[in-house]
Amino acid sequence: MKFALLGDWKFRSALTGWGLGTLTVVFLVYQWMPILTLGLLSFAGPTGGTTFPMNGVSLHWYEELWKATVMNDFKPPLVRSSLLAAACAITTVVLSVMSAQAMRGKFRGNDWFFYLMLLGIMAPGILVGFGFAILMRLLDVELAWNTTTFLVQVSWTLPFGFLTMLAVFNRFDSRVEEAALTLGASRLTTFRRITLPLIMPGVIGAGLFGFSLSYDEYPRSMFTTGPDQTLPLAVMAQLDRQLTPEIYAIGTTTTVFSLIAVLLCTSALWAMRRSTAPRKA
Amino acid sequence: MDALAPRTAGVAPSLPVAKPQLDLELRDIRKKYGDFTAVDGVSLKVPKGQFVCLLGPSGCGKTTTLRCIAGLEDPDDGGVLIGGKEVTRDPPWQRDIAMMFQDFALFPHMTVAKNVAFGLEMLKQPKARIAERVAQVLASFEISALADRKPGSLSGGQRQRVALARAMITEPRLLLLDEPIGALDYSLRETVMLELKLLQQRTGISFIWVTHDQNEAFSLGDLVVVMNHARIEQQGTPEDILQRPATAFVASFIQGNNVFRGTVLERAGGNVRIETAAGVFIVPCLGASPEIGATATFSVRAENISDTVSERHPNRLTAHCTAVEYFGAVRRHIFERADGEVLKVDHFGAQAARIAPGQSVLLGWQVEDTVLHQGIPG
Amino acid sequence: MSTIRVRSAASYWLAVPAAVWMLGVVVVPIALLAWVSLWGGRTFSPASPLTVDNYTKFFANKTYLQLALSTVGHTALLMVITGVLGYCIAYFLTMKVKSPAWRLILFLAFIVPFWTSTLIRGIAWVPFLGVNGVLNQALMFTGATRTPIEAFLYSVFGISMAQVSLYTMMAAGPVIYMLNAVAPQLREAAMTLKAPPLVVFWRIVFPLTLPGVVIGQVLVFLNVMADFATVATVGGNKHAMLSNLVLLFYEGSQHRAASVVAVLLMICMLIGVVAAMKVVDIRRLGADR
Repeated sequence: MKFALLGDWKFRSALTGWGLGTLTVVFLVYQWMPILTLGLLSFAGPTGGTTFPMNGVSLHWYEELWKATVMNDFKPPLVRSSLLAAACAITTVVLSVMSAQAMRGKFRGNDWFFYLMLLGIMAPGILVGFGFAILMRLLDVELAWNTTTFLVQVSWTLPFGFLTMLAVFNRFDSRVEEAALTLGASRLTTFRRITLPLIMPGVIGAGLFGFSLSYDEYPRSMFTTGPDQTLPLAVMAQLDRQLTPEIYAIGTTTTVFSLIAVLLCTSALWAMRRSTAPRKA
Repeated sequence: MDALAPRTAGVAPSLPVAKPQLDLELRDIRKKYGDFTAVDGVSLKVPKGQFVCLLGPSGCGKTTTLRCIAGLEDPDDGGVLIGGKEVTRDPPWQRDIAMMFQDFALFPHMTVAKNVAFGLEMLKQPKARIAERVAQVLASFEISALADRKPGSLSGGQRQRVALARAMITEPRLLLLDEPIGALDYSLRETVMLELKLLQQRTGISFIWVTHDQNEAFSLGDLVVVMNHARIEQQGTPEDILQRPATAFVASFIQGNNVFRGTVLERAGGNVRIETAAGVFIVPCLGASPEIGATATFSVRAENISDTVSERHPNRLTAHCTAVEYFGAVRRHIFERADGEVLKVDHFGAQAARIAPGQSVLLGWQVEDTVLHQGIPG
Repeated sequence: MSTIRVRSAASYWLAVPAAVWMLGVVVVPIALLAWVSLWGGRTFSPASPLTVDNYTKFFANKTYLQLALSTVGHTALLMVITGVLGYCIAYFLTMKVKSPAWRLILFLAFIVPFWTSTLIRGIAWVPFLGVNGVLNQALMFTGATRTPIEAFLYSVFGISMAQVSLYTMMAAGPVIYMLNAVAPQLREAAMTLKAPPLVVFWRIVFPLTLPGVVIGQVLVFLNVMADFATVATVGGNKHAMLSNLVLLFYEGSQHRAASVVAVLLMICMLIGVVAAMKVVDIRRLGADR
C-alpha cells in the first residue's frame, strides 16, 4: 500500500540501499569468517587438526601454549612485543604532538618535513627494515628488539600519529588559545592548560596507532630484531616449523588483546568527545 | 537583468477556470520528527506572482514548511499543489521550483558558469543554447567576469548572485529562498533586498522567502506569514500584521508593540474594559466576543502612544522614563510601567526630545489604536 | 595568534627530533639501498666499485621481469576490487544507514579487524582455503564440486581473497571520510535543479569524494605491492611477488640483488604516489572544507 503511494523513485532508492546493504553484510561476513574460524579451531580437542572437523572441544592448545617448551614459548615474545608497543606509543605521542605543533608554526621547510613524515608511511616496511639492517651491519651495531627494532618501528608509527594530530589541529579553534593568552597565561601554560586537554582525544588516537601498529608489525621487525624475537616473528617462525592449532590459540589471544585495547581507547575517546563537544542548540 | 523575461501565463489558451490559478497551495501540511512536531497543520494559498515571506523565530517550522514545498521533506499528512498540480509525493526534481539555500550550496568543484548551467543541463537543452543562456544570465546578474572562477574564491555577495543566477535560469514557477541574505554583510543586505524585490516584480515568479528578520519580511513581502510552534499565527499584508497583530505572540514578536495582559471586566458597546496590572483600559472587540472574567491580551504600537494626553486618549497610565534611544527617523523612549514591565513610546525624529530619562510622564492612547488579540494566551 | 609563533625558532626545534628520526631510519637506509644496489666487486663493503651490473643481471632474467609485471597486474586487480567494494560499503554506511546506532555497529564491525594483526588475519585464511578447508567442505556439502579444489590455498586466487579482506577497509576509509564531508545541501541543491538521484551521484557526490578514492587507492597500492607476508602464508612457497624477492635474495645473502629489487619497488611506489598527489592535496584532509 505504502509503496504505491511513495512512488517508484523511492522504491528504487530503497532497492539501492538494500543492494548495497546486502553487499556490505556479505563483506562483513567474509571479513570476519576467517577470524572466527581461527578462534573456533583454537578450541579443538588434542587430536584436532588445523581444519574442521574439530575432534572435540577443549582448552588443550591453550594449555600447550601456557606450558610450552623453550622452542615454542610465546610468553617472552608477548612480553617483549607489549613493552615495545608501549614504548612506541609513548614516543609516538610525544613526537607527533611536538611535530604537529611545529607545523602550526609554519617553520621554513615545513613542506619537506611533511613529505618526510609521509615517506615513513609510504616506504614499504620490508625496504625500511632491510635498509636499516644493512646500515646497522655497516656500522657494526648489534641488532636487538629493544634498540634497533624500536628505532625502526617508531618511524612507522610516528607518521600515523603525526597525521592524526595534524587533522586535529586543522579543526582546532585557536581562538580559545588567544583567549587564554589575553588573560595573561604564558604560551607554555596555555598549551598545558588549554590546548592539551582539547586535543586529548587526538592524543589518545595517536597513542592507539602507536601501540597497535607496533604490536602487530612484522616486516620491519623481521630484519632488525636480534635473537630475541617479538610476537609476530615468533608466530611466523612457528608457522614455518609446523601448523598446529597452537598457532590459532596464539592468534586468537593476540586478536582478543588488540580488540580489548581498541575497545578501551574508543570508549575513552568517546567519553572525552562527549565532555568537550559543544552542546547542540 | 533583462534576460529573465516575465513568465507568460500558461502555455496554451486553457479552458476558462472558475478561480484564478494559484502558484502554490498548502493544504493542512503536517510533519513530525519522532516526538517533535515541526509543522502542525499549515495551510496557505499563494496567488500568481506573489512575494511571500515566512517569518518566525528559529525552530518555528518555517524552514520545514519550505522543504515540504521543495519536496526535500515528505509531509506526514496534507497536500502540496504547485500551479494547481498536486505534487505532494513528487520528488524535488519533478517540481516546478528552484531553491536558494542559506549558505548558497554552490557546487565547490564546478566553475561559476558550470554551476549556473547545471539546471539547464538537467533539462537536457542543447549545448549551444545552454552556453548562450548562461552568458545572458551571467551578464544580467553582472557576474560575467567570474564565469571561470570556482565558488571557493568568491565573496559572499558574489556567491549570492551566482546562487540566484543558478536558481533563476530555469525560470521556475516558484523560487524558494531559505534565509537567502542571512550570510551576507549587513551593509549589502539592503541593496540585495531591493534587487530581489525588483527581480520578483519583473519576472512574475512567486518567491517564498523564509526569514527570521521582520525588516526583511515587511519590506519585501506582499504576503507575510508569521509562524510559531509549528503553526501559522497570522497571515496578511505587512500592514495587517503591523497594525493588527492577531495574537499575543505576533504582537510581542513584531517590534514596536506594547503587550498588555489582563482580565475582561465588562462590555461597553463594541468595546471591552480590561483590567491589567498597569490599570484598566478600553479595547475595541472588532467582532470578537471575549467572556467576562476571561484572561485577554491586547497591544498598542509604540508610535501610537502620546505624551500630550487629551480627552481623545481615554487609555492612560503614568510611567517612569528610563532611557531614550535615537534611531534617526525615530526616537524611542523606554518607560517602566507601574507593574515593572517595559513600555516603549516612539516619537518621530523631527520632533525635539521632550522627555528625558528620570522623568515620570502621563501617557495616553486612543481606543481605536488598541488591538485585542485572539485566543486565550498561554 | 596561538601557542606557537609563526616561523619562530621554537617551531623549528620542535620538528627537529622527528625529522632526525625519520631521516636516520627511513631516508638514509633507503639511500643506502640505492647505493648498495650499485656495488660491484667480490666483497660486500663501501669500498666496492660502482657498477650497474646488478641491474643488468636482474633485467636479463625473464622470470624476474615476469614477476615484476605480474606483481603490478595483481596490484591493479586488487585496487579495482577493493575500490569498487570499498566505495559501495562506504556509501552504504554513510548515506543509506539512517539509524545512528546501526551505523556505529556496522562501522565498528567494518574497521575493528584493521586494528588486529594483518599477519594473524592472513594466517586465518589458511584453514579456510586448504584442501580440507572450510570453503572446500562447504562446496562439497552443497554439491558444487565433488573433489576438493586444490587451487584455493597456495594460489593467486587465495592470496587475492585474503588481500581483499585485508585491504578493502583502506580503500573505504578515506571515502567514508570524504562522504561525511559532503554537505547535504549540495545534494539537495542539485535535486531542486532537476537532477535525479543517479545524476546527483555522478555530478556532485562522486567528484567531491574523488580525493578519498585516490587516497584509498594509494593505500591499497602501497600495501599490496609490499605485502610479502600474506603471499608467504597464504601463497606458500609456490608464489612470489616482487617484495618476496627481496626476502628471497636477503636470505640467500645476495644483498646487492635484494637492493636492486628494493630500489625498483621504491621507484614503482614513488611513481604511484606522485601521480596521486597530482590529483589530491593530502594536507587539506581534516580541514573544514
